Amino acid sequence: MAQLTIREVINQVLHAEMERDSNLIMLGEDIVGGAGTAGGQEAIGGIWGTSTGLYDKFGAGRVIDTPISEATIIGTAAGAALAGKRAIAEIMFADFVGVCMDQIYNQVAKFRYMFGGHSTCPIVIRMAYGAGLNAAAQHSQAVYPLFTSIPGIKVVMPTTAADAKGLLTQAIRDDDPVIFLEGKMLYGVKGEVPDGEYLLPFGQARLAREGSDVSIVTCGQMVMFAEAAADAMAKDGISCDVIDIRTSSPMDEEAILDSVENTGRLVVVDESPPRCSLATDIAGLVASRAFSSLKAPIEMVTAPHTPIPFARELERAYLPNPTSIEAAARRTLGYR
Amino acid sequence: MSRLTAFTMPKWGIEMTEGVVAEWMVAEGQAYARGDVLTLVESDKISNEIEAETPGVMCKLVATPGETYPVGALLAVIGDEAAPGEEVEAFVSAFKPAGAAGEVAIQQTAPAPAASSQPTAKAQPAPVSATPPPGLAISTAAWKRSQELGVDVASLRGSERKGRISLQDVEQAARPARAVGGGQPVSIALSTTHLDVFFATPLAKRLAVIHGVDLAKVKATGSRGRISKADVLGLVERAVPAARPARPPGVDVEVVPMSMMRKAIARQLTLSKTTIPHFYLRMSVRIDALQAMRQRARESVGQAPSVNDYLVRACALALAANPDVNVQVHGDAIHRFRHADISVAVATDKGLVTPVVTAAETKSVAKISAEIAELAKRAREGKLKAEEFQGGSFSLSNLGMFGIDQFDAIINPPQGAILAVGAAQRRPVESEYTLSFATMVQLSLSCDHRAIDGAVGAKFMAELKRLVEAPELLVGG
Repeated sequence: MAQLTIREVINQVLHAEMERDSNLIMLGEDIVGGAGTAGGQEAIGGIWGTSTGLYDKFGAGRVIDTPISEATIIGTAAGAALAGKRAIAEIMFADFVGVCMDQIYNQVAKFRYMFGGHSTCPIVIRMAYGAGLNAAAQHSQAVYPLFTSIPGIKVVMPTTAADAKGLLTQAIRDDDPVIFLEGKMLYGVKGEVPDGEYLLPFGQARLAREGSDVSIVTCGQMVMFAEAAADAMAKDGISCDVIDIRTSSPMDEEAILDSVENTGRLVVVDESPPRCSLATDIAGLVASRAFSSLKAPIEMVTAPHTPIPFARELERAYLPNPTSIEAAARRTLGYR
Repeated sequence: MSRLTAFTMPKWGIEMTEGVVAEWMVAEGQAYARGDVLTLVESDKISNEIEAETPGVMCKLVATPGETYPVGALLAVIGDEAAPGEEVEAFVSAFKPAGAAGEVAIQQTAPAPAASSQPTAKAQPAPVSATPPPGLAISTAAWKRSQELGVDVASLRGSERKGRISLQDVEQAARPARAVGGGQPVSIALSTTHLDVFFATPLAKRLAVIHGVDLAKVKATGSRGRISKADVLGLVERAVPAARPARPPGVDVEVVPMSMMRKAIARQLTLSKTTIPHFYLRMSVRIDALQAMRQRARESVGQAPSVNDYLVRACALALAANPDVNVQVHGDAIHRFRHADISVAVATDKGLVTPVVTAAETKSVAKISAEIAELAKRAREGKLKAEEFQGGSFSLSNLGMFGIDQFDAIINPPQGAILAVGAAQRRPVESEYTLSFATMVQLSLSCDHRAIDGAVGAKFMAELKRLVEAPELLVGG
């Protein structure tokens, strides 16, 4: 077991998998990044520091800096994957996905289906997502509801260093397209990471806290806030299940329903705005499948239906936080 | 080491809370085969033999025959082979009944009560335990509840993904089926479609229809500037107190019983306004040419028919051209008239009477004028014969002489339409890019939509306007 940050884990997995499978390529904007700088070709290693050292080791044929064109990145990765390669494509900020949406939702997600199961498209589309770094409305969005709504792609968002290892390795080895979302606030999160090969199956939620009063279901960057809220309430004798769904597609519905059947109360915490979101999706699931277990109306703690503000204080107010999550949980407990 | 299992009081159906062990069929220490009868258990409803699910050994008989035990209580300890006494004793003392947390496996072998009406009761004896059997897709809570409620999960179709059974599924299965629907057909036709142009909630629209509130007059205070329930009810409730303080009869109020005629008017017009779907077509017609014609008549013969007389003639000709307006409505039948029998509303001391100018399209304006004068005179004297004010295929009501600009009349049933005529007024009108004055009369045609559609009524009005504005067409007859 080693103590590593998620940033380091992602870099290690990329090294290990590139080593393991010579058929694997990587491409993205500035994933090498140093061309023309005093530090040389490898000076940058990706703006998030996740692709450091890969270019030197695997060369320009497998670690490819692309023009600033997301359509090119995904189109190239998809074509390579159809032709027999495996590809890891990086969209620097998840917000930029709009310009390659056709490649993702109308091509990559549909290949297997359109070709009658005769083709696979093993690509991992990595992207940094989420608010919290003062990056304003166009560089901070939690895009997972968008992808979760598309059949044919898998959507993964690790929240611990160990999960980052297990889920990224699984994503790379998966034969289907996977959207791999890296929370910008989480890159520095440190944790124990299992040594050696470590894979986590998709569609299996992580129980981050175990309790019997309230189920808090969340994902990605909001998990740490939910844990903080649950820890605060535990001091007052209130015990919460905190469920990190890990993958929103496929989603571990059974874990959510089991928890609600046990607690009778649900708080869903979602970083994205509330309309057509993961929060409403999970609330809908529970309302229809566990109606008889509910002792209180479902609480949804989400961002408001607005673009993400730039100002630090406003961004803080925009995001769910431990206080708002705790308040919601207490509302479910106080429901008469 | 022997694997020990608790043999407990089974639960047959929701209502069973306890049972009596009538008799043990095996002795302590005795081995038995699958299918052997172990005991006879009686609930307050039934008694049943319990058969062994698997071969084994009766390690200890805990329950005394004849005694009553609650559901889930330990009755016996069974094992896959004989077990030492101390091991069995330890098992018995560690036993916790179903529902309490514990590692103890609970074995119930419960055949279904044969006559049970519970669809959820066990049909077959099934071995059960605190944890769901492997391979059965069910949540832990649902499994536990199925034990408490005696629900046979094998017969359930789960509502979760891939048929997994939820707690909700188990609880629903344990409840009796609820009848849904099966009554008389009901109307679910929308009554508010015509109000869709208003930005109002569906409930507000429904209330507007119920209370007859005009949404155009409602001030919207709902979210996003929408007319809300409260906005509509606000108007309704304001109207109520105005109507409430009915002044008691006394010095200031004289109570006059309705005359027969008043009662007839009240009855007819209430019937009309509440049951006939009225709609109104309003139009201004220019009567300068008509007035000029009347002026010439006065100059040559000393007198001239009234504007109203001309209008009766014009209506008669327009009805002849538009027979679909010249109708009476009788239930599901429309009576179309060959002649334009026009009822002319006449105010009398006692109330409204409507003598009829029969076959008006065959009569000259002069003759119509003379007939109306005669009928009105006798109406005021109360000397009209019944056939003179009954029937009629169309009505005309004129309040122009009182200076009324415009009004809408209530249809005189069973007639299909009535024309309301206002006062002649000088109005500025645009003509050839200049402003001039014209003498205008406001007409309003009330139609019974059951018989007359908007376009039909409108064609009649257009013809009426053409005739009145070119009054030479009214001459002759």
